[in-house]
Amino acid sequence: MKKHRKSNFAKREERTAYKLLVPALIILLLIAIYPLGQVFYTSFTDRQFASGQETEFVGFDNYRRLLSVTVQQLEPLVDEETNQIVIDDETGNTVYERPIDVLPRDPIRYREYRQFSLMGNQYVLGATDVDFIDAIKNTVVFTVTSVFLELVLGLGVALVVNSNFKGKGATRTAMLIPWAVITVVSARMWEWMLAPNRTGMFNMLLDRFGLTDGSIAFLASSSFQLPAMIAVDVWKTTPFMALLLLAGLQTIPDELYEAAAIDGAGPVKQFFSITFPLLKPAMAVALIFRTLDALRVFDVFQVLLGQSEYSMATYNYFQLIGNRNMGLASAIGVIIFIIIFGFAIIYIKSLGVEMDETS
Amino acid sequence: MKPHKTFRQRLLKLGFYFVLMIIFVYLLFPFYWAINSSLKTEAQLQMTPATMVPRNPATGELAPTLQNYRVVFDNQQFVRGVMNSTIIAFSTTALALVAGSFAAFALGKLRFRGKKPTLYLILAMTMFPQVTVLAGLYAVIRALSLPALISLILSYMIFTLPFTTWVLTSFFRGLPMALLESAQVDGATPFQTFYKIMLPLTAPAMVTTGLLAFIAAWNEYLFALTFTSIEPSARTVPVAIAYFTGAVARQEPFGEIMAAAVLVTVPIVLLVLFFQRRIVAGLTAGAVKG
Amino acid sequence: MKKRTWLSMLLVLVLMFSLLAGCGSPAEEPAETGEPSEEPAEPSEEDVVITVAAGAVGQELELTQMAAQMYMDDNPGVVVEVLDTPDLAQDRLGLYLQFFEAQSSEVDVYQIDVIWPGDLEEHFVDLYEYGAEAVVGEHFPAIVENNTVDGRLVAIPWFTDAGLLYYRTDLLEKYDLDPPETWEELAQQAQVIQQGERDEGNQDFVGFVWQGDAYEGLTCNALEWIASNEGGTIISPEGIITINNENAVEMIDMAATWVGTISPEGVTGMAEEDARAIWQGGNAAFMRNWPYAYSLGQEDDSAVKDRFDVSPLPAGANGEPAATLGGWQLAVSRYSENPEIAADVALFMASYDMQKMRAVDGSLNPTIMDLYEDDDVLEAAPFFGSLYDVFTNAVARPSTASAPNYNAVSTAFFRAVHDVLNGNLDAATAFEELELDLQDITGFDIE
Repeated sequence: MKKHRKSNFAKREERTAYKLLVPALIILLLIAIYPLGQVFYTSFTDRQFASGQETEFVGFDNYRRLLSVTVQQLEPLVDEETNQIVIDDETGNTVYERPIDVLPRDPIRYREYRQFSLMGNQYVLGATDVDFIDAIKNTVVFTVTSVFLELVLGLGVALVVNSNFKGKGATRTAMLIPWAVITVVSARMWEWMLAPNRTGMFNMLLDRFGLTDGSIAFLASSSFQLPAMIAVDVWKTTPFMALLLLAGLQTIPDELYEAAAIDGAGPVKQFFSITFPLLKPAMAVALIFRTLDALRVFDVFQVLLGQSEYSMATYNYFQLIGNRNMGLASAIGVIIFIIIFGFAIIYIKSLGVEMDETS
Repeated sequence: MKPHKTFRQRLLKLGFYFVLMIIFVYLLFPFYWAINSSLKTEAQLQMTPATMVPRNPATGELAPTLQNYRVVFDNQQFVRGVMNSTIIAFSTTALALVAGSFAAFALGKLRFRGKKPTLYLILAMTMFPQVTVLAGLYAVIRALSLPALISLILSYMIFTLPFTTWVLTSFFRGLPMALLESAQVDGATPFQTFYKIMLPLTAPAMVTTGLLAFIAAWNEYLFALTFTSIEPSARTVPVAIAYFTGAVARQEPFGEIMAAAVLVTVPIVLLVLFFQRRIVAGLTAGAVKG
Repeated sequence: MKKRTWLSMLLVLVLMFSLLAGCGSPAEEPAETGEPSEEPAEPSEEDVVITVAAGAVGQELELTQMAAQMYMDDNPGVVVEVLDTPDLAQDRLGLYLQFFEAQSSEVDVYQIDVIWPGDLEEHFVDLYEYGAEAVVGEHFPAIVENNTVDGRLVAIPWFTDAGLLYYRTDLLEKYDLDPPETWEELAQQAQVIQQGERDEGNQDFVGFVWQGDAYEGLTCNALEWIASNEGGTIISPEGIITINNENAVEMIDMAATWVGTISPEGVTGMAEEDARAIWQGGNAAFMRNWPYAYSLGQEDDSAVKDRFDVSPLPAGANGEPAATLGGWQLAVSRYSENPEIAADVALFMASYDMQKMRAVDGSLNPTIMDLYEDDDVLEAAPFFGSLYDVFTNAVARPSTASAPNYNAVSTAFFRAVHDVLNGNLDAATAFEELELDLQDITGFDIE
């Protein structure tokens, strides 16, 4: 009897759940299913964007073109007359074959990505699409670093704002400003601030404090490019992280802290035994969405670095709009999709947030 | 023991305000620089070294100009853009919150089969870079032949709806199960439970999520640029700013762009101030915690 | 209770906004792009509407609207609407591609960049079929050739652009120098002036600024260096990859020595506006830029007002000065419902009288040669006279020869050059790799 009633109730609950899901699913299916399906499909073709050219199915060719890598050993050069290994006069290092002569050219050409030595041998790492491999590297480094910094700073800001002090309201509003500045414009603003001479804020300040002569090329020299991107992104999106974490903090009941205080737990212990565990779900969601945005980073790279260094999304844009290579661009989209999915699963698993548990 | 403690407390407090100040500077100084730049003429922007306040290049006297703001206010497209953006961002947020909270309640509190796949499916909708889906989306919108404003609201669902759904799901899940069960015992249908008990409790989360979604929709550029291209009257603020031009081609009216950026940030700040009261009020009123 | 009022308020808001949004239908308001007085009357059923997608820049747009109005005055029954498009070439291209992908008939006439005719050729009609034969001889032959694909005139030249050397007359006088005629001379002079000015206390002063960021502008700059040293044009008009030659290598290696000496380190991150900011702030002796910087430099608050002049760019040791051809054309969409009228509008807008109006009122460089001898034009813009030679000798980028792959070619080229400028590679190695890349992209033979 009891069992029967329960299953009846469960059925009703299930029906309600489906009904509640309907609006969201309809909207998403209506608007997203065709574009997403098209991206998957196109990634297996050689379709040209805005072109009447015949489209052919090419299987995994686009993926192969983007992701193929190879490692080849470079032999030391031997002088034909003396039969001795050639040594560079200036540096005293052995001279090796040139990668361009070693890397395979058929059926697709590999280009040099990096050289490295291992156990006394010299190797070259070649890739069919060096720019895309570089874009993946840039984007992942950018994402991991900036999301980590945003988490730390965002948590700090959220904890500060969540505590009671004078000027709390003002702080809370102020903290949101960077997130509110229109993205495209904020990229232009940073470009101006990072100008390579003293018309830029940073060079002017560095010069005023006597640290440099005020002519650092932040956006042109490779050692500053990624750090600059990260600084811009952390500035822009820390508020996003902070606000989500703050909302999570506010759902933690004060009584828990009071009880812990009575038990003699200090603030650090309170943080690790109460705040952190209870904040995990909010943190997981915040991390997932920040990572998702960071992996798709576009505006900042596009405006500040143009085509000198790519992110995955700007490389995608360049292939689609510049080269009109829609098949290849779609394959890039799918690869980004898979990487994001991987990150999402890692977060959910490692933070122990179970997505299908109800209580 | 006691004097030592107060000293430590004072030190802590000092440290606290110091950290606060650093955060403030980091978050606000770039915005100050935008305001500073918006008050400069082109010649003042080109001065080396750049000045902390607008100064006359020749005499070094304080010389801010409101010219950039005047130009921006005279720009019909910009004014209209603010209106369009407001409509679009509000509608997007409202729609994403309503549909999202429905879905989130089901996903966070109700038992049904296929929950995990549904969650991932919803998230998957937002995992492609915008430029990849742009062409397909444009085809859908042309096929539906929707006016630009509506098509923007709908297409913004791609990134706002999964966001609101996921965030709200995690908040619903955090609510105690006891509430749900006692409501069921009282004979409330699941929908009544959602509407009368759960929704008010998540109001603070709704406000936060709504704000973030609002700003995301407010700032979007690529979709807006494409979908309003043929319908200039529907252009949003970011597009209107991208259409700012100098007197001649290639000249970038940097001061005006900064002025516009400052101008459109202000209403958002006001919005935050307004809703922040809500957040606090919601919290204190929603005393049913724990 | 309070919660519920709040909720219902939210619902009302949703309804209100969706209603509002629903009412804001597209036809409600005409395009609001110009002065109200020039707003065309609401087109009636029988009127043919021709939409011209053109530049959004203030005066340029106004001049286009004026031309549209004149056409409408002469041709009742035709309504010409001007649709402004983003000033950033890349955004504009992205937008056009979306129109073409959808085969949209909404835009009839497109303003296109000088490098697009080859790549976008399939979307445009042949203007020779609509009477362009009669006028095409008036325009600069280099541009006409650039706009001709397989014998079809894809676009009619509208206004043009080319690289120029800007130099500070006051500083050349101060250091007793003549405008440089070779790159070598320029480098020496820049060094002398930069040293002198820095010694006098201007620590921000640099010798020479140009466009060295990794973008299309660097292709323009580097092409000028190479072409001026008899190094070819990357890919020859016949479709042979010529880039890997001694003259080209020599020039690029030379340019790499400028970075960090006569030009700031940051030059490899600079576009037109970055260079102009330094120049117009009075902090550079020389600048490579397009003609647009001239009128801006002569404005009242400019630090270089009346202290500069322009000349053709210097030449390499083995060649003649070269300037990269820029500028904009008008093309008629194949998807237009009224191609005949659209072509008539395009030809009208690019006609002698209209180009003259744009030259006199907007300092836009005509593509019609006779206009450089027209008294009214020369009176309004005296420096046009000195531009004539630059335009007649301008070098087109290999966009038509490498179509539809020009963008990929140019990107490979400017990224290779950028690598050399940043000191990661020497030009010989970079170009050895580049010619293979170009072969992969185009399938052409290597010289």
